[in-house]
Amino acid sequence: MYVIKNGTVHVGNGTVLAACDILIEGKVIKQIGKGLHVEGADIIDASGCDVFPGFIDPVSSVGAMGMPSRHLDNDECSDPVTPEMNLKYSIDPDEVNAQEFYKSGITTVGLAPTNNNLMGGQIAVCKTAPQKMGQRLVKEHAGLKCSVTNSVKATYGTANRVPMTKMGVFFLLQETLREARSTEAEKRTERQNVICSVFDEQSMPVFAAASTKNEIDGLLHMMKDEKVQINLVDGFCFADSLKEMLEQNVGLVLGNVNNMSQIAKNGMDLTKLNALVKNGNRVAFTNSCGGHSEGREVFLWSAIEAYRAGVAAEEVVKMMTLHPAEMLGIADRVGTLEEGKDADISIFTGHPVTTYAAKVVHSMINGEVLF
Amino acid sequence: MGRVLIHGGTIYTMVDGEKPFQGDVLVEDGVIREVAPSIDAADAQLISAEGYCVMPGLFDAHSHIGLFDFNHDKAVDDANEMTAPVSAGVDARYGMNPKARELKVAYEHGITAMLFTPGSGDVFCGQPFVAKTYGDNIFDMTVKAPAAVKIALGGNPKNTYGDRNQLPMTRMGVAQVLWDTFRRAKEYLDKKERGEEQSYDANLEAIIPALKGEIPCKIHCTQYDMLTAIEVAKAYGVRFSLEHAWGATDYLEEIVESGCDICYGPIATYRAAGERRKIDVEAVKLLDDQGVNVALITDSPILSEESLYHHMGEAVREGVSHERVLRMVTVNPVRQLGLEERLGSLEAGKDADIILVRGRIGLDTDAKVMLTMIDGEVVYTAGEYQC
Repeated sequence: MYVIKNGTVHVGNGTVLAACDILIEGKVIKQIGKGLHVEGADIIDASGCDVFPGFIDPVSSVGAMGMPSRHLDNDECSDPVTPEMNLKYSIDPDEVNAQEFYKSGITTVGLAPTNNNLMGGQIAVCKTAPQKMGQRLVKEHAGLKCSVTNSVKATYGTANRVPMTKMGVFFLLQETLREARSTEAEKRTERQNVICSVFDEQSMPVFAAASTKNEIDGLLHMMKDEKVQINLVDGFCFADSLKEMLEQNVGLVLGNVNNMSQIAKNGMDLTKLNALVKNGNRVAFTNSCGGHSEGREVFLWSAIEAYRAGVAAEEVVKMMTLHPAEMLGIADRVGTLEEGKDADISIFTGHPVTTYAAKVVHSMINGEVLF
Repeated sequence: MGRVLIHGGTIYTMVDGEKPFQGDVLVEDGVIREVAPSIDAADAQLISAEGYCVMPGLFDAHSHIGLFDFNHDKAVDDANEMTAPVSAGVDARYGMNPKARELKVAYEHGITAMLFTPGSGDVFCGQPFVAKTYGDNIFDMTVKAPAAVKIALGGNPKNTYGDRNQLPMTRMGVAQVLWDTFRRAKEYLDKKERGEEQSYDANLEAIIPALKGEIPCKIHCTQYDMLTAIEVAKAYGVRFSLEHAWGATDYLEEIVESGCDICYGPIATYRAAGERRKIDVEAVKLLDDQGVNVALITDSPILSEESLYHHMGEAVREGVSHERVLRMVTVNPVRQLGLEERLGSLEAGKDADIILVRGRIGLDTDAKVMLTMIDGEVVYTAGEYQC
């Protein structure tokens, strides 16, 4: 049992509780309130500190790449349509451990395929603490990772296979859906079963990499009448397709903003994030860009870029916690500091969205104190 | 270009030992004329700095903007010649696109000058230069060329030539090329000074200014390769900086003892075996505490130029004070390159590269440049700036 005493508690849903205590029993949060006294509990003093729910990166590549093997484990590019692939089987716990994500406050990552396949496979969610894998896996089949970016063209077109053009990308998407749906249920392949369960039964949301305006417009046009929840990944030009984003309530997992000239290249207008906030669209951040991950620091940097662009600090916090949890369907366990939820908690020396002088001094995952 | 008075800001001169103070800066013909608590210049055009910090423009000591272009699907690489491991003679100015969009991002974020360098695909990669970030013609924008000898150790040159079954395929091969080239350059210089006849060698010629101590070597290296760099550089008595320097916490004593400079960054690559084993930002604090000249670099456009703020921020997160971190993107890199007569601080006689900032860059995450002046010309004002 632990009691985190006297911290400024950021619940993750926009609420901030001043000078508040959190009681942790086993793996979960038992109680939140002022002046908690519990016999036998270890005290963690959080006076003067900011306490946050663990941050969540919904589409990380690192952790499932299998470095230094010759072929990345999240890149099954033997075929552009492999929705049946389960990222759970590609997790490399040591690769996750090496990143020390929790030192930047990130306690949960969704491990996702690269952007090279039109449908790359199913996201698996795991905790970042170096604990036994049995404890770490939060959810498999958490989302279907798709991509309509140039990476698909570059992967297959160069080998003279479909798709060689953006036309080919969307033709393949349309045909893949039509074929699966027009096949009688008992005759469907496993691949087609996954596609039908995602698009007809909404068994899991879609996380689709799309970056430029024509990729985003094409995707949202083709998905207009689909019921499945669409979340853009990377989405750097989301502001150029704002109307469609709002109308279709599309989620956004903003790619690593500071990577390889994205701002200069896309003329990115992050002030438009406020329109998404106002409309209730979910927004999240990731350490990846173009399907490639960078280190743990860039997650915070993207959050800071959103704040710099005028999004309120606690709204940004939601984008780091509650929103990605909801996107992945794991908000019953993580994403906010509430009674009954997993004790994934970071204690910062300041508010990491508003000041750089904010360092994680204590990290707890599944109720275990890492440092 | 007449006289301009920047009035009423909090002046960060970046001069050693000088604390920030309320004051004015007088600029004339592109040069700083005076910095003082109060300057009487009724005839000068007025720029109000009320409520803002006034600082020298920021300096990024390791950039490839305009040499790499990621704005198209097929990335353009004019940074790596990669036709011979010793390509010391190529001049980065000829690979640089002065219309690169990233330059606008740079000066809008207050970065007014940087060192543009060839990449790291060769052992001797070419000649970096220092230039302002605003202008039309890179030769006019240039402050100093060549500004250094760019050298690279480790995976990049190894992979370039390893793929061709050519020396160097290994890190020991890279060390061999390094030793051999310095030896040949030294012999070449000695012969030249003795007036002996020899055939002209453009690549060895390019190394001479480093052997003479006129410019530093900028040596791309990480982890154990830092010891190799130190050993060779010491043997030939060249001034040098270790570029990137990931893993420096394991070699603190050797770095301090060697007297070299450090260009740390980019921060935020994923961690993997080998060169990416340790990304130890805390080294910035430890080295600075021990008197090493540390600069922070973005490697832009690998990481975008605006991430210079985040690089400063990560150093602050590890305990570097705001005052010290500002030096790492102003006077420190400028001194490494011997340009302190012109850049890096607000003092009479220096280039009028000046920025007005709301908040504290590197500490407040929402700090914002309101105005950028380069060579006395206002090249950017933020939408919300009111003069």
